[in-house]
Amino acid sequence: MTLAAAEGWVEGPMRQFIEDARLCHTLLLHPSGRVLAQHGFARSADVMSACALAAGIRASAGELGRMLDGRPFVELHHAGEGTQLYLAEVPTPRGQHVLLAGFGSESSLGLVRLYRAELADRLARAAPPAEGARAALPEDFELDLNRNLAVLFGRA
Amino acid sequence: MSTAFRPLLTTLARHRGVVGSMVVGESDGMIVQAALHVGVAGEVVAALAASLYRKARRSSAAAGFGDVGFLTLEAELGRLCVIGRGGLVLIAIADRGVNVGLLRADMLAAVEELA
Repeated sequence: MTLAAAEGWVEGPMRQFIEDARLCHTLLLHPSGRVLAQHGFARSADVMSACALAAGIRASAGELGRMLDGRPFVELHHAGEGTQLYLAEVPTPRGQHVLLAGFGSESSLGLVRLYRAELADRLARAAPPAEGARAALPEDFELDLNRNLAVLFGRA
Repeated sequence: MSTAFRPLLTTLARHRGVVGSMVVGESDGMIVQAALHVGVAGEVVAALAASLYRKARRSSAAAGFGDVGFLTLEAELGRLCVIGRGGLVLIAIADRGVNVGLLRADMLAAVEELA
């Protein structure tokens, strides 16, 4: 299993989660779209695109949930014919993160949801002390994104 | 509890030792309907038991044994009984004191209502 993490504290919990839930594609990202860990993607451009789309979907679903239900939708599932997608927020001591998980017939939505809860617990234990609120400022965003992609694909 | 599977789950809940029963989607492991005692982690058991049943089905097929019948897991403190049909799985969670024979008979009868 190939997992690449831009921040070391997410690697152990993510590795366990991917193995437990038998995922074929996985991304952990900041809500801004900045990638923290990836599994199953071959090209950095694909990771960048998937992160941007996941962040956009999460933001859209959040607003839609607020409109329809008074609170944001925090979990989305798409049952494709071959691959299923699960998108959810994962709370960590360093703020909300977004999880995108792709899985096939080896897994199920119930399993992925179950292990996502365990992932959140493991991330909470693994997270280093908070450095204070650090927003993904527009001027930092591209720098952070490119740095993380370079780390994930061995170009750092 | 409401809708289609209520009578079926009520029948299983009457067994001494049964602490929960559920109808669960076989492919997604999500609860369709459940009758659970307080403190039973229904969603967790549903996801894992459905996965177990799927794997048992695949193992049975791979071994050339055909369809899986009644699946029972005996653990130190309890039993998990699973039977499926038509993409749904019926799960009973019971303690060690349950009469497995009676429970099995009711689950075999109940599975006809799943399809």
